[in-house]
This record gives sequence, structure tokens and C-alpha cells, in this order.
Amino acid sequence: MSTSPTVEDAISARGLTKRFGSIVAVNDLDLDLAPGRIYGLLGPNGSGKTTLIRCLIGLARPTAGESRVLGVRMPDRVNLGRVGYMTQSDGIYNELSVWENLRFFAALAGQLDRAVLDEILELVQLSDRRGTPVLELSGGMRRRLSLACALVHRPSVLFLDEPTVGVDPELRVEFWTYFRRLASEGRTLVVSSHVMDEAHRCDELLLIFHGKLLARGSPSEILHQTGTDDIEQAFLKLGGSGRGE
Amino acid sequence: MNTRRTLAISRRIAEMFRRDHRSLALMFLAPIVIMALLGWVLRDAGPTSTNVAIVNELGSIGTPVSEGLASALSGGGMNVKLDIADEAAARQALRDGTIDVAVVLATGGSTSASASLPNLDITIITPGLSPADDADRIGALRQALATSVGQLGPTISQETIYGNGNFFDAFTPALVGFVVFFLVFILTGISFLRERVGGTLERLLATPVRRLEIVVGYSVGFGFFALVQVALVMLFVLGTIHIGAIGPLPEVNFGLGVPSAGSPWLAFVITLLLAISAVNLGIFLSTFARTEFQILQFIPLVIVPQGVLSGIFWPVDALPGVLQPIAWLMPMTYGIDGLREVLVKGSGLDVWQVQLDLLVLAGIALLLAALASLTIRREVV
Repeated sequence: MSTSPTVEDAISARGLTKRFGSIVAVNDLDLDLAPGRIYGLLGPNGSGKTTLIRCLIGLARPTAGESRVLGVRMPDRVNLGRVGYMTQSDGIYNELSVWENLRFFAALAGQLDRAVLDEILELVQLSDRRGTPVLELSGGMRRRLSLACALVHRPSVLFLDEPTVGVDPELRVEFWTYFRRLASEGRTLVVSSHVMDEAHRCDELLLIFHGKLLARGSPSEILHQTGTDDIEQAFLKLGGSGRGE
Repeated sequence: MNTRRTLAISRRIAEMFRRDHRSLALMFLAPIVIMALLGWVLRDAGPTSTNVAIVNELGSIGTPVSEGLASALSGGGMNVKLDIADEAAARQALRDGTIDVAVVLATGGSTSASASLPNLDITIITPGLSPADDADRIGALRQALATSVGQLGPTISQETIYGNGNFFDAFTPALVGFVVFFLVFILTGISFLRERVGGTLERLLATPVRRLEIVVGYSVGFGFFALVQVALVMLFVLGTIHIGAIGPLPEVNFGLGVPSAGSPWLAFVITLLLAISAVNLGIFLSTFARTEFQILQFIPLVIVPQGVLSGIFWPVDALPGVLQPIAWLMPMTYGIDGLREVLVKGSGLDVWQVQLDLLVLAGIALLLAALASLTIRREVV
């Protein structure tokens, strides 16, 4: 499970630790994630998923250890041009229109090709909402726009923090279809979720509890290993609480 | 620094403004309404009518003085009452509100060298509820006393070097600086706080954007709106547009027409530097707030002390010694001094005070920009 970091790893971490006072949000984590796969970051609310993502990207300064994205030690400003991050809150501007949001994040990420933006808008099915201010969009449309803003620069590595929260089942299926398509293009996706039934859509699961990696493996491996028939049960068996704290 | 990313941030601010009509109104209408109200009140308000009692406690010796005074005061448009006999009655009349001011003529402690009159003691009594009205009336009384009791002493008249002694004209430059600083601070503080709370800052920081680019982008974006605001306010304060009567509408003068002794362009640059300081102060302080309400809580901490200490009402040199160094730390102090130099005194770029004000303001703006960019990455726990 733990090999030395190589350029082939899309994401790697060594002894990554983040403490807030006496709380240990990320506890001495080692990770090596291969490109072109979807990794499911699973754990109850407050288990440290968001903090782990922030430490991996370099948005939070780890107390100890290091993280690398595409072989580059983070934080690295320029390397962020190859990283996409969809935050847990929508993180888009309510006063701006769909197109203005997209164009803004594209300009920051260095994407100047309008055709790419049109294509992404098509992908998230917001082409007919171009001029609509975000305030007038439904919750699901905002999630789609938020995802689109993380994709503008065609990043090689994507961190999606609870992308399907507040999204209806139909759209959720669509989202996972996009995610699969992105992975098939060789991109690495880290998708955090506390919804355990999304787990079977991932290539590999990372079960996080109290900042520790409880288990790692494909959904079937985890079920087999714990002798259970759903991920929630597996979680409980491994010593994590299935519920939020 | 990457210009494309910086300008993308400025452009975004402009696009957000375009849809936010309330903020637009706050930025462009509010300062004009404030200036118009103050101009109106400070220029035209004043005692509309004055009932003055002349109390002659001297008897027949005082009659020439009281009669001279009465005719001078009536000539000045005051209603003169001569039927109040003593000071106690006058004080009661002041309490009752039947008179606005009383002039009491009494015998002084020692005898005068002049044979014709005893040593005259003149006491002016006002209610003391409205210092501005009282001051106006006392001014008028002094004028009348000077003419009617002229033989008692030299005539005193007042002249000014700068302006014409009009309170509002001398006060306006300071007010322009204050209003611009206040509004720009509130708008940037709140809009950057939204950036932090709404998760968009988190997202910005996950792109290759530099912190300095964010700060400069904000300064340019809000600076542009501050520029338009300052231009509008300056036009309104310094200019006058006369609109003749149209049908039933009466003729109006739009604009305050405050005389400007110096270059409006220089005043414009000073105000703009002040606005850029306000932008960066807003970004910096938004680090220490979690809600919009907490931004408003900075007003008594950051804005009010500047209003009191920066020389708007009292010159900094006249402040108690302990407070003076504090005043010299505030951007508004330099902005207001600069605006007064230029607009009231007519100083140009060749005057060292103006150069100093400009340099210090630019320095403060840079320092605040540095502080703002340093605090942007503050970790949110």
C-alpha cells in the first residue's frame, strides 16, 4: 500500500497531519493515488475529509508531513493550474450570470479558449442558462455550475468535496456519468461523500475516520474483507461510526 | 503579477455592481444626498426670527445705549422688546421661550473714566440649547453693539485669508473625504467578507492566482467605482447647474457651487488615494469578521475615531497631546489636510504640505494593500 512517491502517482501524501489545537483532523496519513481513477473519500461528517482535501491541495498548511500533486510538492501556485476543486459550498457568485462565473474562473485558471467553455456548459446542460444570474438558478443548477467552474481548465486532478449534496437522484446519476467520462480521459478524481450508497461507483474507496485511514480498496474488496454486504456495515465493523458525530 | 487575472477580478467586481442596484445607489446617490442635505442645512439654516429683550438696569443713564442698540437691532431684522425691567425677569422670559436672547445693561464694578457714562457691563444671555443659533445671534448682537456703543471702544470687524468665512465652504472638502472613505470601506469590507464566507475565496485560492493580484484587482475594481463616485461628488459640490423654471416647476440650482481655490484634479487624486486605502482596509479587516454585522461593528472602531480625530471638525494641532500621534496614523488625516490645502487654500503640487499628504496617503495605501494580501490566506478553522 505504501510505496515511495513517483511521478506516476497523481496524488501522494507522506505522514500528512493536521491539528487544530487538540483536535487531530488528519492523522499521519500516507496515500498514493494513481491517475485515471475515481477515489471515493468516505467518512461521516467531521471525519476530516474536507481538511484532508485542503491539505492535499495546499490550502491548509499541514502540521506535519507533505503532499504531492502530479509529483509537485504542494502548496505550489503554478501547479494549481492543473488542479480542479469543487468546494462543498457552491463557491460561485450569486450576483453574476452563469457565463460570467464560468468566464471568471476560466480567466483565473488560464483557460482562454471560449470553445472549451461552451463545451463544458453543454456537458452540465446549462447552455440555455448562459445569461441567467445564479440567484435565479435552482439548487441543482448551482451544483452543476459549481462543477463546471472546477472543470474550466481541464484539470488533470479533480477534488470534488461532497459534489452530490442536495442533488436529486436523477442529477446524481448524471454527475457520476460525467465523473466516469473524466476518469476515462486519464484524470484523477477524489470525490468525498458521506452518502455510503455512492461508494460502489468509485474505483477505490478510502474510508476515513477521525483523520485516520481505516481501510482502502475497491468496494467489493472492502465488503469481502469485512464480510458485510453494504459499506455502512463495513464502516461500523472497521470501528468507524456510520453516523455524524 | 499577471494582468489578465488581475483584470478578471476587477471586471468581476464591475459585473457584480451592475446587477446590484442598491450598492450602486449607496455608492453614487448616497454621498450626493448627504452633501446636499448638509449644504442646505449648514448654509440656509439659522435663526428665522429673533426676539431680543434689551434690559436696561441703568435707568435714564442707559437709555441712549439701549435706544441705539434697539434701532440697530430692529434694522437687522430682530424683534426688540424693551419692557423687561430686570435680569431675573429676562431669565424667566428665556425659560418661557418668549424671547430668544437678552441683553442686560448693568453698572460695572468700578466707575468709568468717561464722564458721560458709568462703567458699563453688558451681559448677553441665551438659552444655550442650540449653540449654532446662539452663536449667530451673539454675532449679530456684537455687530449691533459695536455700532451703537461705538464710542466705548474700537470697532471690531472680521476678515479671512482663505474663503469667505462660510462654515460650509471650509467644511466641505473634509466631508467629501470622509463620505468617500466611509462608503468605500463598508462596500469592500462586506463584499470581501462574502467572498470568504461564500466559499469563493477558497476557490480563488485553489487557482494559480496570487494574493497580490486579488488585492490589486479589488483596488482597481472598487477604485474605478470610487473614481466615478468622487467625480460625481466633486461635480456636485464644486459646480452649479442652473435649470430654469419649466412650466409649474420652479427654477432650481443643482450643485452646491462651493468655491474651489485650487485644482479640482489634484483634489480628485487625493480623494482617490483615500478610497484605495479604504478598499484595502476593508479587505484587511474582513479577516477579523465572520458576518456582515461584524463588519458594521468596525464602524465605531475604525470610522468614528477618524471622523473625530482627523481634523474634520477640530484641527489636529488643537487635539489633546495624547491623541495627536493617533491622528497622524490615520489616512483620513492626510486626505482631509490635502483636500483643505487644495480646495480652500488653493495650494498646488509645489506646496510641500500637499506633497507630504500625497506621499503619506500613497504609503498608507501600499501598506494596507500589503497587510490585506498577507491576511488573505489566513486559515479558516
